[in-house]
Amino acid sequence: MTVPLTQKAPGMADKTPAPNHARTVSVALSDVSMRFGDKTVLKGVDLEVDAGQFVALVGPSGAGKSTLLRLINGSHRSTGGALSVLGVNPATCGRGALQRLRTRVGFVFQQFGLVGRLSAMENVLMGALGSLRMPRYGISSYPRELRERAVANLERVGLVDERYQRCDTLSGGQQQRVAIARTLMQQAELVLADEPVASLDPNASVSVLQTLKKLSAEDGFTVICSLHQVELALAVSDRVVAVREGSFVLDAPTADTTEEQIRAVYAQAERD
Amino acid sequence: MSLTTDRPPLQAPPHPEPRRPRASRAAVGILLAYLAITLFGMWWLDIRPAALVEGFEDIAALLQRMVPPTFGEPANLVALALETLWIAIAGTGLATIASVFLGAAASRHFSGPRILGWLARGIIIVTRAIPSLVFALILVRIVGLGPLAGGLAIAFHSVGMIGKMFADVFEEQDPAPREAVAAVGASRAQNFVATTFSRALPSITSIVLYRLDINIRASAVLGLVGAGGIGVALQTAIGSLDYHRALGIILVIVVMLLVLEAVAYIAQRSLAEHAGEHTAAELYGPGPTRATPGWNRSRILRVGSGAAVLVLFVFSLTQLLADAPRLARVWENTVAVLSGFFPPVFSLDIAYGIFESVIMAISATTFGVIIGLVIAVLSTRHLIRFEPLSLALRGLMVLVRGVPDIIYALLFVAALGLGPFAGFLALAISCTALAAKFFTDSLVKVDPAPLRSLEATGANRVQVFVSGVWPQFVPSFIGNSLFTSDLALRESAVLGIVGAGGIGFLLEESVATLHYQTTAGILIGLIAVVVALESVARWARRKVI
Repeated sequence: MTVPLTQKAPGMADKTPAPNHARTVSVALSDVSMRFGDKTVLKGVDLEVDAGQFVALVGPSGAGKSTLLRLINGSHRSTGGALSVLGVNPATCGRGALQRLRTRVGFVFQQFGLVGRLSAMENVLMGALGSLRMPRYGISSYPRELRERAVANLERVGLVDERYQRCDTLSGGQQQRVAIARTLMQQAELVLADEPVASLDPNASVSVLQTLKKLSAEDGFTVICSLHQVELALAVSDRVVAVREGSFVLDAPTADTTEEQIRAVYAQAERD
Repeated sequence: MSLTTDRPPLQAPPHPEPRRPRASRAAVGILLAYLAITLFGMWWLDIRPAALVEGFEDIAALLQRMVPPTFGEPANLVALALETLWIAIAGTGLATIASVFLGAAASRHFSGPRILGWLARGIIIVTRAIPSLVFALILVRIVGLGPLAGGLAIAFHSVGMIGKMFADVFEEQDPAPREAVAAVGASRAQNFVATTFSRALPSITSIVLYRLDINIRASAVLGLVGAGGIGVALQTAIGSLDYHRALGIILVIVVMLLVLEAVAYIAQRSLAEHAGEHTAAELYGPGPTRATPGWNRSRILRVGSGAAVLVLFVFSLTQLLADAPRLARVWENTVAVLSGFFPPVFSLDIAYGIFESVIMAISATTFGVIIGLVIAVLSTRHLIRFEPLSLALRGLMVLVRGVPDIIYALLFVAALGLGPFAGFLALAISCTALAAKFFTDSLVKVDPAPLRSLEATGANRVQVFVSGVWPQFVPSFIGNSLFTSDLALRESAVLGIVGAGGIGFLLEESVATLHYQTTAGILIGLIAVVVALESVARWARRKVI
């Protein structure tokens, strides 16, 4: 479920083109901050992400990108401000509500998070665990309908022939595509990707991001993807948000953003 | 006033002598402590070269009386040997199931209620500290004589051992898959099965096989306290002074243990090879539909071996539960024994018995480690390069290890009389065999390159060992010595059951005469000492290794 935007939160930038129908917002952050002990990692940031948008989150390491993504999926709880993720505030909801929210929010990790000694198919099926009651072990323990969906999702990421292969015998790019297929099992409305191509070679990086972009366009899910590769960010996203030292220093449609503007964010961070 | 005081102070040398590192001081400290306790033990236990020589003469005389061995009715012995096997399999299986839950709750990553974590860690510590023979003594009172008491005793003690190892395996895992599956909204139980248990399965199999090997050895002697298995026959034969039959039974036990050790070794080796090579890239074959996995060699092996293990486990459980009517009084007996524990009674006799067990264990460890080191060096091929000697020593050690410590103790008590001297000798022999095995395994892994370089400089064999081998070997030497000492302490606590000194005698007597308050006092004292010595060993390992 997405939330119709009835009023703009104070301080929120609206830099996306105004649509001619009612907007729906997947993620809304208002003055959100996060501290770990004495260290402030996010300093009162505002963000609204429309449903179906592909947002590239760029910025130097340690800027707060990963923390932001983890606040959105409820792994961390913010220390200030208001959040709305698909209509739920993950910082204040209970354990059950958070678990239900997570079934609607996919997360793609840099290190894939796969169980290497199990098959690609079983790893993909794990994406459906949130919709099942009991623990499962082995492909045959999942309902037939889910198995068919897993095969279809592996086909969509181009790995149907490798479905019974051990994951640790697949290449890095293939493993990340298995992780994306696992996310597809959730039929998520929002997908968060934390540097999904940081461990991959350039060709695999392009292939993985193109796959994510294509699936997002086909299924209409929102993507917030943190990236270091400036060219890739500009190639796949609708909107670029740059983070430096816990603040947003750039938030603009990709069409209006230049490579130099993003590189300047990294250069400034190096000078600091 | 001396001349030197009028002189200007000497300048510090440009490169001051570096301070001896802490690890090295800790190693020297441990060594000195062990030597001091051993010297005290030699005086306390009256271990003199003359006494040793006399003792061996008596043992040789007893062995002469045992030859030739007799086997009585072979079918009877085979039935008892099989019962021993069912006890070990059922006990190990029950412990494995319980340990998955305990290990999960005791691991640092456990995110459930904190009290469950503490409870799991408490159960692991307590059950690890109490030997299976002691559990058997108590369980015989609760479930009656027979293999059920034995199986449960093996299970209770193994829970602590296996649970601790499982917890370590779970803790060492990369958290990434767990986080990824938590992020899809899976419950804790689903996440545990999908990511933690599935990844730990190869290690779990290896740990269980290793433990089964130990448990078969332990279940062979449970009959000494009436808890089933082939030990019953041994106890009867020695009790009736039928030494020919006793030797026959010992030979059956040794052969059984050696055969099963070989089977466990082969299984472990094939498992390790399989894990290392990732031989099965395709885990399933093509199935009847795209979404239904089919059968290939890898899946048949996995499912087939899993089913075989399950069938074996269930069958062994049915063998233990064959005498069901006796189970009717279990609850009543449990309440009687456990309520009898309160309030525990502590006495000077208990302190004396535990002290004697500790002294026996440490003295035997020192002797065992020294002799074991010599044997290990002589049986390591690339150090001695005399193949027949290496092979002969290894074979001898396998044979010596094949006999459980308490059987040595039984024989020594028969030859030398009651008392801790017999217990010390039994422990020293098993410590020697155990240490020799651990040290040989480590010495084989020593990098030979530095040895060859030293030989090329003209160094002799002793110099090569001291400068090339010893520095590489010392961490595993200390680690394995402490582990040997840990095992010896648990064993020394039960040798008294056959009259070989230590706390075991008082323990058995307290159970036999229904003085459960004394039993509780002994158990608490034993747990405290084992946990304390384990903490010292852990500290020493951290410092030195």
